[in-house]
Amino acid sequence: MRSWVLALRDLRLELRGRAGLLSAFSFIAVVLFIMGIAFGPDDANLRRAGPGALWVALAFAGSMLASRAWAIEVENETLDDLLLTPGSREWIYAGKMLFLWILMLLMGLFLLVLVAAWFQLPLERWPQLLVTLLLGGTGYTAVSAFYAGLTVRLRARDVLLYLLVFPLILPVVLAAVKATIGIAFGADFAEVVSWWKLLGVFDVVYLTLCYLLFPAVIEG
Amino acid sequence: MVEIDEVWKRYGRQWILRELSLRVKSGEVVALLGPNGVGKTTLLRVIATLIRPQRGVVRLFGKSSKRIEKERGWINLVANPPAFYRHLNGQENLRQSLALAGKKSADEAIYRAMEEMQLPPDRPVSAYSSGMRKRLALARALLLQPRLLLLDEPETALDSNGRDKLIDVIDQVARRGAVVLATHDRGFAETVASRKVQMRGRV
Repeated sequence: MRSWVLALRDLRLELRGRAGLLSAFSFIAVVLFIMGIAFGPDDANLRRAGPGALWVALAFAGSMLASRAWAIEVENETLDDLLLTPGSREWIYAGKMLFLWILMLLMGLFLLVLVAAWFQLPLERWPQLLVTLLLGGTGYTAVSAFYAGLTVRLRARDVLLYLLVFPLILPVVLAAVKATIGIAFGADFAEVVSWWKLLGVFDVVYLTLCYLLFPAVIEG
Repeated sequence: MVEIDEVWKRYGRQWILRELSLRVKSGEVVALLGPNGVGKTTLLRVIATLIRPQRGVVRLFGKSSKRIEKERGWINLVANPPAFYRHLNGQENLRQSLALAGKKSADEAIYRAMEEMQLPPDRPVSAYSSGMRKRLALARALLLQPRLLLLDEPETALDSNGRDKLIDVIDQVARRGAVVLATHDRGFAETVASRKVQMRGRV
């Protein structure tokens, strides 16, 4: 319950401040524009690059938002108040993860539409694309929300966040790209499901570990 | 209520607290006095369990500070300056504090606390003056009803009316718990404290 309160409050703050969302959406537009120029105007090339462009843009913009989830507390100097709340501190991680997860999914949907329009990514199997987005987004946010919390007190947190998160989320991004390619280019459903299973395992492992380890890493 | 035994805390290579011991009993208002950099704020943060000392024992409410989870909600720290979400208004900030502390968020109680502190409920905190933020922190302390109130230079930025309200809040908390405050103002300490502690890196 408190996790939802925290996530909704962060969403409200983000919508009022808009700093994180604006920079993430600008970043997405720039990445897609550059990749579109690089791979276009040949339609076949663009279609092949579509799944990669989708996940590259989502992964980098996701890191920006992860950093933002904790920057709210740093800018307002309110981290101490969060840490002084009663009970074990896993709920703080859950709240920040939820906030990031909602933003990632919204951004993922927006990206899907953009990539479909620009890179001609076929949307016939859109429910499968949504499942991939959901599974990939969950693993990604589990790790990035954790490391963004771990580095929140450090001066070089933004640089460190990329260095720490990307090696760990590489399997998630690879599996998500592979699943998206399979869906876009008409692979067997069984092949797509095998990538989903891999993503599901990463999601469960990362979520469990990050949730359990968070109270220890956020200690002052 | 607070038992600190031979606590050592350093930042980098510099020891801020050295072999510091302090006891605070229920009903006491303890004022920490001393020059800048002597460790008053650090001591408040150690008591609040926000930082862990390198050595020594901290016990709160009869338990090791490492083992308090439920009891953490009994502590309220008013930092200098107090921290609030700038894009939210005063009322929203108080509602959030109550909800995250797991307490019922009664709009009427929030409204009364804001009114008592003479604060505009709808103005965003970014438009508050330093004194208004201090008052908002006092309103939050009233609503959260802590058993241990920690105040870091609480009298700064407050006008005489604000000081009266601060003294009132200190009295209210001391009736059911204890207050530890850090201040440079010896006169203020004389007014509110039942005990004054002069810090020189150790007590």
